[in-house]
Amino acid sequence: MEIQGTRRVNLLARLGFVWAVLIAARLLQLQIVQHAKYQALARDQQEKTVEIRAPRGAILDRMGQRLALSLPVVSVCVNPLRLPDPALEANILARILDLDPAELLSRFQTASAAGRGFLWVKRRIEPEQARRLADLNFEWVELRTESVRFYPNKQLAAHVLGGVDFEENGNAGVELALNDELEGHPGERRVTVDPRKQSFHSTTDSEAIPGETIKLTIDSRIQFAAERELEKAVHQHGAKTGSVVVLDPRTGDVLAIANYPTYDPNEPPTKEQGLTPRDNLALSTPYEPGSVFKVITLTAALETTRLRPETIVPCGSTVTIAGRVIHDHGHYGSLPMEDVLARSSNTGAINIGLRVGDANMFEYMKRFGFGRPTGLTLPGESSGLVRPLRRWSKVSIGSVAMGHEVGVTTLQLAQACSVIASGGLLIRPRLVAGAATEPPVRVIQPETAITMRRMMEGVIIKPYGTGFHYAHIPGYTAAGKTGTAQTVDPKTGKYKSEYNASFMGFSPVTNPAVVVVVSLHGTHGEAGFGGPVSAPVFREVAAVALRILNVPKDLPDDAPETTSPVKADENDLSIAVLSPVPQPLAGASLAELSTATRAELSINDVPDQRSFSQPPEQLAGPTVPNFRGKSVRDVIEQSAALGIPVEYVGSGVARNQIPPAGALLPIGERVRVQFGH
Amino acid sequence: MATLATIFDRFFTVRAAEQAAPRTWEDEEPNRLRCFPNEDVYFFVKKIDNTQVVRESDPAARSTCWRVIGSCVAAAVLLIAVFLPSLYGLIAGYQLEALGQERQHLEIERSALQLEESRLMSPQRLEELARQQQFIDPAPAKVVYLDGKPEGILAKSIGGR
Repeated sequence: MEIQGTRRVNLLARLGFVWAVLIAARLLQLQIVQHAKYQALARDQQEKTVEIRAPRGAILDRMGQRLALSLPVVSVCVNPLRLPDPALEANILARILDLDPAELLSRFQTASAAGRGFLWVKRRIEPEQARRLADLNFEWVELRTESVRFYPNKQLAAHVLGGVDFEENGNAGVELALNDELEGHPGERRVTVDPRKQSFHSTTDSEAIPGETIKLTIDSRIQFAAERELEKAVHQHGAKTGSVVVLDPRTGDVLAIANYPTYDPNEPPTKEQGLTPRDNLALSTPYEPGSVFKVITLTAALETTRLRPETIVPCGSTVTIAGRVIHDHGHYGSLPMEDVLARSSNTGAINIGLRVGDANMFEYMKRFGFGRPTGLTLPGESSGLVRPLRRWSKVSIGSVAMGHEVGVTTLQLAQACSVIASGGLLIRPRLVAGAATEPPVRVIQPETAITMRRMMEGVIIKPYGTGFHYAHIPGYTAAGKTGTAQTVDPKTGKYKSEYNASFMGFSPVTNPAVVVVVSLHGTHGEAGFGGPVSAPVFREVAAVALRILNVPKDLPDDAPETTSPVKADENDLSIAVLSPVPQPLAGASLAELSTATRAELSINDVPDQRSFSQPPEQLAGPTVPNFRGKSVRDVIEQSAALGIPVEYVGSGVARNQIPPAGALLPIGERVRVQFGH
Repeated sequence: MATLATIFDRFFTVRAAEQAAPRTWEDEEPNRLRCFPNEDVYFFVKKIDNTQVVRESDPAARSTCWRVIGSCVAAAVLLIAVFLPSLYGLIAGYQLEALGQERQHLEIERSALQLEESRLMSPQRLEELARQQQFIDPAPAKVVYLDGKPEGILAKSIGGR
């Protein structure tokens, strides 16, 4: 028995050993030799990689109203080659997704016959449909999450926002300019699932980095008002295109940029539509500004000459430049410089321009920011057109003084207008709230800016001002300038009878809170001038903006209506034939929107008309007395007795005076006397 | 049945039985009753009196028993202690994943609601509603400015900034 038991145990032990060796060998094969294979198989079965959503950043307006945001949507796709029963699957999917079963089956068969392993069944399905499909958990259906960009306000601020392509990459506007900031970087995580495909563990492989939310300076309410009034004006006056820019002159914040025509960024561009509605005209298309540019001319005159608002300037029907006699629509004889602006006298502006000179004019154009982009956070901004001084002809100063031979964008005009409104500081416009911009640069003296404000106010409050009937804002003071210029025929490169009607202005006058520049292209006839066409848009948009910005009124509520029996001079059409059309503006791409003026009058010499370029003695007045050493009271008495206007600076005893004693004081100019102790 | 035991019996047990001497049943089985004639049915009688049986005290066996019980309990506790966290981890994993999916779903829902809110608050729609309600823009004289007192009751009541 003992021997039998020992044998049994030995045999059993041997068998056990063999069994153990076999098991160990198999384990070795499974766990080590074929480790990678079985690990991959296990992973395929138990793990799946899931994308962590990183939505594109939203775009907000200055009040936090969403202008653009992304939303995940589910799309359904299948592998037609792996459908167990295409007819049955087509029937099921069609029922859930509201599709035609026969058509879907046909698509399955076509794709299968073509050997295609992927087919979108339906994209961007409803959440309820996605839930039903997910609950059914079919192995042959794949639900893919896609991100879709939505613009809830449709066409509002479309040109500012731009749009995205199918991959959600920005292709215009802020979406393109700030694509890196807005773009989200999705992460990945591995999810372990049980046999019921329910996940119970996950490991993040890479973190998702959602896109930044961008807050713009745009105010959607002001933007809406600007677009509404612009569209209304375009239809009312038969214009082709137009643009409006609203700025806060104190900060440079862009409150609105409106263009017409416009588009809905939710809709992809169509061939019929073309790209024209997607052009951001306000900053990408320069044009000759016409009379609104006289503001720059007069500012330069105030800074570089002795001309003052009261200075009498010849404003006859003709003016001679470099031997050429140029005729104008108006014959005013002589006007104070402030009325040159109010009446928009072309000959007056030319005379003032001649006084300023080429170099000074060029310098002030640069100071106001013309000829270079404003640096706004939007792609495709034009730098406009400012010819180098060496390329100026002898008559260029006359053209430039009226806003010709120079190409500007509406945004550049707004920036220039902000210089006057901000008291002489060039503040770069800003589109992203809180973004750092270049520090403001003083480009003109504060006194000059204040004088220009008063003169621009005259355009609106003087009964003969070109903006008198159209730009008055109830409850607020306002200042501005109208402008009308002829557009260029792209085929001939010559000026035609269509106008570019502009208005740039700000309100209130004493502490401007809003700058509005309006430009409509393609108006006709007398009703197509800047006053009747663009000034009302300024009025309506500025009124809305002032109310929204809570700007206190600076006029009494019971202020009388600004009506006058005097007929306002609405014709501010500037002269365009002093020199040829600037080539970049006459080119095919820009010519349609560029503008210029044309002299329609025949050349008639007016012998008694004095040219402002004539020797100054012809304009001289009384001889300047010597005020040095006198008190303020004595200077006042003496100047009053002689009828000499004096500008008093400081207090105490007169220490210096300009012009010096004995000089002839030009008519309309004043003596600047500096006092000190 | 071809078990290992039968295989062993086949080789060893049968051979041992063949070598044993013949025995009578009286010798070996005193409690066996006489059999019935012509019957191959046998009856056995055995009287067992357990009334006097007293279980012998065996402290060693008892302690062994308790040790086994204790070991089993300890092993069970150890097993539970080892596997319970994993089990809880598994359950928590399911809950976390479910919560994660719910959060994702809620985020999507929130985005959808934000979109809807933005659509409802769009200036176009508000103007359309105002037109339907025959609202008009306030005249300049009707606009009241709060002169920089945003904390006032009036400011709060009209949403002053």
